Amino acid sequence: MRLLVLEDEPALREMLVQQFRAAGFAVDQAADGVEGEFAGQEYPIDVAVVDLGLPRRSGLDAIRAWRKAGRSFPVLILTARDSWQEKVSGLDAGADDYVTKPFRFEEVLARVQALLRRTGGWSQPLITCGAVELDTRAQEVRVAGAPVELTAFEYRLLEYLMLRAGQVVSKAELTEKLYEQDFERDSNTIEVFIGRLRRKLDPDDCHQPIETLRGRGYRIARG
Amino acid sequence: MAFPVQSLRSRLLLTLVVLLLIAAAAAAFALDSLYRNLGLRALEDVLDAQVMALVSTAELDGEGKLAPQNLAEPRLATPGSGLYAEILGSQGSWRSPSAVGSGLNLAAEPLPGERRLEHSRLANGTPVLGLSLGVRWETEDERSRDFVIRAAQSLVPWHRQLLRVRTGLATGFLLLTLLLLGGLAVALRFALGPLRRLEGEIVDIEAGRRESLGTGWPRELAGVTGNLNALLRGERKRLERYRTTLGNLAHSLKTPLAAMRGLVERGEVEPAALEPQLERMQAIVQHQLKRAVFGGSGTTLIDQPVGEPLEQLRSALAKVYADKRITLSVAVAPGTAYPVDAGDFLELAGNLMDNACKYCRGSVAVRATPWTAADWRRPGLVLEVEDDGKGIEPAERAHVLERGVRADESVTGQGIGLAVAREIAAAYAGTIEISESRLGGARVCVRLPGR
Repeated sequence: MRLLVLEDEPALREMLVQQFRAAGFAVDQAADGVEGEFAGQEYPIDVAVVDLGLPRRSGLDAIRAWRKAGRSFPVLILTARDSWQEKVSGLDAGADDYVTKPFRFEEVLARVQALLRRTGGWSQPLITCGAVELDTRAQEVRVAGAPVELTAFEYRLLEYLMLRAGQVVSKAELTEKLYEQDFERDSNTIEVFIGRLRRKLDPDDCHQPIETLRGRGYRIARG
Repeated sequence: MAFPVQSLRSRLLLTLVVLLLIAAAAAAFALDSLYRNLGLRALEDVLDAQVMALVSTAELDGEGKLAPQNLAEPRLATPGSGLYAEILGSQGSWRSPSAVGSGLNLAAEPLPGERRLEHSRLANGTPVLGLSLGVRWETEDERSRDFVIRAAQSLVPWHRQLLRVRTGLATGFLLLTLLLLGGLAVALRFALGPLRRLEGEIVDIEAGRRESLGTGWPRELAGVTGNLNALLRGERKRLERYRTTLGNLAHSLKTPLAAMRGLVERGEVEPAALEPQLERMQAIVQHQLKRAVFGGSGTTLIDQPVGEPLEQLRSALAKVYADKRITLSVAVAPGTAYPVDAGDFLELAGNLMDNACKYCRGSVAVRATPWTAADWRRPGLVLEVEDDGKGIEPAERAHVLERGVRADESVTGQGIGLAVAREIAAAYAGTIEISESRLGGARVCVRLPGR
């Protein structure tokens, strides 16, 4: 999952970036409205966390610009004043949820995960595809009830595919979404990880949760 | 429209000067033209009389020349007198002694019975008005002869008189205009006096020499001064509330700070030890922020339609609670409006609707209706928010409305929405009441009185 942090306060931005990275996100960051708007327009962002009071261009204006350009990724706003006027104007501008400062990171993470699930059409933190169960809150995976140990990257890969269950996801998209902007890209890595994921989820090769569509990408069946 | 002159008095005076000058000029022009017409008519009458006198005294001589037998008008006999006469005939002409050498040069030659008036000039340039009459003279031998009898009068004396009259008119009107303007300036000064007093009192308030505006204002200003006083009262109340909030905030932060200082002094600075204090400070800040956002007042505010903010909140909450798939209905009686600060209303309704969404099972209903009473010129407002959740136990109801109101109470940062709503309602002299909803959960009803 690729996430944009748009926050001008350096300490807070750094904290968010580090914690989101630790939670398995590929994180892009921007410190002002103009830079942030550009990042939202140009990078393949899945979700953005936006502070409303930003230098050069307000967070509201950045969100409006994204929505006007048809960028529909979910946006979580961080409001400093706990007033409904601010929340309403943010949600009205195109944001999807809010968190009031000061906040705990767990709260922000839970909201971001809920937004991502919602975008994928899931309303519960528990996503189930066949025998595979993914708990986005606890970041745990079970197959037929038995817990499976995954590395952070494997988890991110599986989560991305499961949130888009039923859709074909290309290798290029996976590279773009799972690595950050300035990361060395190699689509062979994705193949390697898909292979490992298959072995972990389906050691006996009986229910084959991840389907390969030659030349198009991968798909996990919904339901 | 941009207008360079900023003072009301100057604007009024400038407008009146222009209007008065136009009116005076028009009146002077009308009087002048009336006087001129009447004067010319009088001159014409004089000439008419002269011609008639000539006709009545004229006699035909043997050579067929017509001439007056005696001159009744002495001016005709005096050269350069300004009054001239001549009689033209086919057999020769007669000219009055006054006209000799004057270069009188009238052109009209009317047929018998005709009369012509003309302006002309003498040889020395003197303007004259001349009247020519055509006559047919019956002779004794039954033959007739035609003559033209002319009289002319110098216009110089009349022009001189006209100039005097015009000067008089202009001076008179100018004096009248100045007098009227002076009067108006005095009247304006008198009429605008209360505005100057208002300005002075506002300066005094700014300087801290007075607390509010005095009494005894004219009817036109009473509304403004009343509203200004209400605004001042509201601001003072708000300031007091800020002071209290600030005091409460500082006071309530002291305890966790002291605890943290204690931990630091004992050398216990592990995150786990600091966590509860940080948690508490965060809750306090959040709580006080929530209480600090509303504005209050009410008396000077304009009517706010309530349908739009409720609709905004509906769509905002639909996003926030998208996972719950809540049926959120908003019913507003058409034209429902209330004089409330827009932010306060959003805060009030937002807290109640957010609470309802948080605790409902699947549906929330919001209704806003005007509240009328016989002695209110502006109606009040009733806002009802209902949900289908578990509801609030009767014993709990008073408590949730009071929760976290006092700063030294332990605050959790949770569930202070109702208490904040109660405070906002109270700022507008309103009440809030919790009962059971027909949906099965809680029904919160806010009543804000009208005025």
